[in-house]
Amino acid sequence: MCCKPLLLVSLMSLFNTVTYSQGFQVNFQGQKQQGMASAGTALPLDGSVVFQNPGAMPLVKENEISAGFTPVFANILFEENGSDQIGRTNSPMGTPFSAYALFKPKKETKWSAGLAIYTPFGSTVQWEDGWIGRFALNRLQLKAVYIQPTFAYQLNNWLSMGGGVVYSTGNVNLQKTIPVEDMSGQEGLAELDGKSAGWGYNLGVHLKPTEKLGIGLTYRSQIDMKVDEGTADFTVPASLEANFPDGTFASQLPLPQVATLGLAYAFSDRFTAVFDANWIGWKAYDTLAFDYAVNTASLVDTKSARNYENAFSLRLGAQYNVTNWFTARAGIAYGKTPVQDGFLTPETPDANRLSYTAGCSATIGKHWSIDVSVLYVQLSREDTNLETGLSGKFSTKVVAPGIGLAYKFQQK
Amino acid sequence: MRQLITLSLLASVLILSCRPKAADQTPSAGEINPERFAVIGGAEMGGFMDDAFHDEGQEASLGNLLATQLQKVGLMDFIQPVVSSTIGCNTSGKSKLILGYKTDCLGATSLSPVRYSATGDQLVFSQPYTKEHQNFGIPELKVSSLWTSGYANENQYFSRVTPSPNSDKVASKFLSTNPTFFAMMLGVDDVLGYAKKGASVGEMTPVNGFSSNLTELVDSLTVKGAKGILATVPDISELPYFTTIPYNGLNLTADKAASLNQIFNPIGISFQVGPNPFIIEDPAIGGFGVRKMVEGECVLLAVPLDSVKCYQMGSVFPFRDEFVLTLNELDEIQTRISQYNAVISQLANDNGLALVDAYSFYKKLKSGMMYNGVNMSLTFVSGGAVSLDGLHLTPRGNALLANEFIRSINTKYNSTVPLLNATSYRGTRFP
Repeated sequence: MCCKPLLLVSLMSLFNTVTYSQGFQVNFQGQKQQGMASAGTALPLDGSVVFQNPGAMPLVKENEISAGFTPVFANILFEENGSDQIGRTNSPMGTPFSAYALFKPKKETKWSAGLAIYTPFGSTVQWEDGWIGRFALNRLQLKAVYIQPTFAYQLNNWLSMGGGVVYSTGNVNLQKTIPVEDMSGQEGLAELDGKSAGWGYNLGVHLKPTEKLGIGLTYRSQIDMKVDEGTADFTVPASLEANFPDGTFASQLPLPQVATLGLAYAFSDRFTAVFDANWIGWKAYDTLAFDYAVNTASLVDTKSARNYENAFSLRLGAQYNVTNWFTARAGIAYGKTPVQDGFLTPETPDANRLSYTAGCSATIGKHWSIDVSVLYVQLSREDTNLETGLSGKFSTKVVAPGIGLAYKFQQK
Repeated sequence: MRQLITLSLLASVLILSCRPKAADQTPSAGEINPERFAVIGGAEMGGFMDDAFHDEGQEASLGNLLATQLQKVGLMDFIQPVVSSTIGCNTSGKSKLILGYKTDCLGATSLSPVRYSATGDQLVFSQPYTKEHQNFGIPELKVSSLWTSGYANENQYFSRVTPSPNSDKVASKFLSTNPTFFAMMLGVDDVLGYAKKGASVGEMTPVNGFSSNLTELVDSLTVKGAKGILATVPDISELPYFTTIPYNGLNLTADKAASLNQIFNPIGISFQVGPNPFIIEDPAIGGFGVRKMVEGECVLLAVPLDSVKCYQMGSVFPFRDEFVLTLNELDEIQTRISQYNAVISQLANDNGLALVDAYSFYKKLKSGMMYNGVNMSLTFVSGGAVSLDGLHLTPRGNALLANEFIRSINTKYNSTVPLLNATSYRGTRFP
């Protein structure tokens, strides 16, 4: 009668990651664009146009098969307010990649077809053992792959449009410490694992009012990643096993809609500047809910406020053709965080940020080209989380060097 | 290609430099001189928990936790009168409590506090700690006894830490450590002993005596220039010892309700199927001197639960006064606590000392306190803050309280003593 434990352990904040872009969105879908702060909606350069702006696909002058890879090295430091406690991540290298195929049968053909496979978000955040925020998160691994078949049509000299259907498939694995301990002091652990899938689309329009000016408009729809039957696995002291039954759970994570206006201006044959403004519909990420198939007094369904705000980013970049086979690029971007004060978490210790990028491309022979890029971001933010009480400063540094390889062949 | 090589070299340098640096923080003692630190108080200060003194509890005593952090701003030594015992012991000769399984009179087995060992470690009291030490956290120490010579004859927890039990006064021994900085949490035991016995025996320390004894101690410290921190007295009636058993925990089937009605209807008491208030003795009401409990009244954890479950204690055999706090008694206790707290606040104010509002801290714990993702509360066992005796804090509870002390110290004395990581101290452990 006296000792029925009511251990209200809330297993919130499942998804939600990636520290190197706003929220958990990643902008590593093309090495050339990455060199210019991921701007380039209005500048069709290569196969990545399938993602960047389907509307501009017919303007790319060569057919192409390409793949790119961007290892991400991210480190987060947490410094607790008022104490001398710190926590660090030792996350494994992130591995976003993208691959494209772009095809137009003849130079004068009006239509163009493409296929894109890419990872618009996904990474692993791993905090060191025993860190002070372990009851909020130990480890979160998020993987998602988007597959996007796409079709585009050129209406006239200055207007083309395109669109693709997106199928997304992903996997999430979350581990956090449960604040119950056995007689030897070993703390409990919750591991949630789930597969998710969702559908969406990617639309784009490309305008070319003058020879020098390009305008791109794109819209990528929201995709709801649903986990219908994830597995929940709890390691707890024997006397509490009935309170934490292993079982299944359901949850859902919205990947927000993104609308982009891009401008590209060729100041000369050699020098082109690009500018992108993204509007990101993060407001959709309002609540993170977990519905456990079996509830107990200790294991209750949770609804955890995220209260994301819509966000935007501004990206400015430029490229310079040093020689006819070598191009150099640089860019700078500002991103406004969707995370409001009081809602900062160890999964996404997000903040307003400036990113710096550089890159270059070299053409090798008739068919091959190689692109490299590098991104550097540093951000920090102090907050007290309203849900967990975790209070302190998160500092993040990210370096992401990328490399891509393309094989090009002439349209007839 | 040269550019590519240069770029990849640049990239490698960037990767190596991509670990954020922690800010350089040198904690400052501010206006305090932590050279000699001493503490005085009751169970929490001394690390008495799970109904005994034992190594693990003393390691996580409020006094030791504060000293650990003060060592980061210049404190050298802080010596505790350790018991050197895992089993532990209290003055009843019993070992510490742990969570285990217990089978009740109905044959039902459930999680329950059980003794770690059949008997306590007698060496705790038979081999007193007679060396110098700075922790005067002495369970059951009342302000009214601070200046009593030979107090060790009344309180074994004091006799085990003092070399001349027949003459020593707690206050004098404490003053002899000559602290430059002190922490004091007194007053709890001036009400706790009385409340623990259902307000049936003894009395609470009168406010006047409380005030003069405490003033004398604080004056004796500050006259030598010591700085320090005082703590208010928590509302002990909200501890699980008093709140775990519900006043209406008498669950009756139709048969049982009928048979109780036969007994009690003649004196105007009736029962229903389902939850009913327990029956208690209350001489104050006259007549037969028994009545139903009312909401807000407390059944103490000292009550023999098997007698309640199987032998009709709390119904046919009403709870005796020693197992119950009535509304009047609760009011009396709470009033006294607020009187003490007025004295303590005034003393801190008059002497320019820091004051930690332990009273508010316990109130916050009562409604649930989220600390780094851990929901702490005063709830028995599952709340994680109060140990298995239902009265005294766990190591994690002490760490949270120590952080309140540190915050008040930092505010008052412009110091930056770092807070503890309370998650590295245990709450309740489960088998």
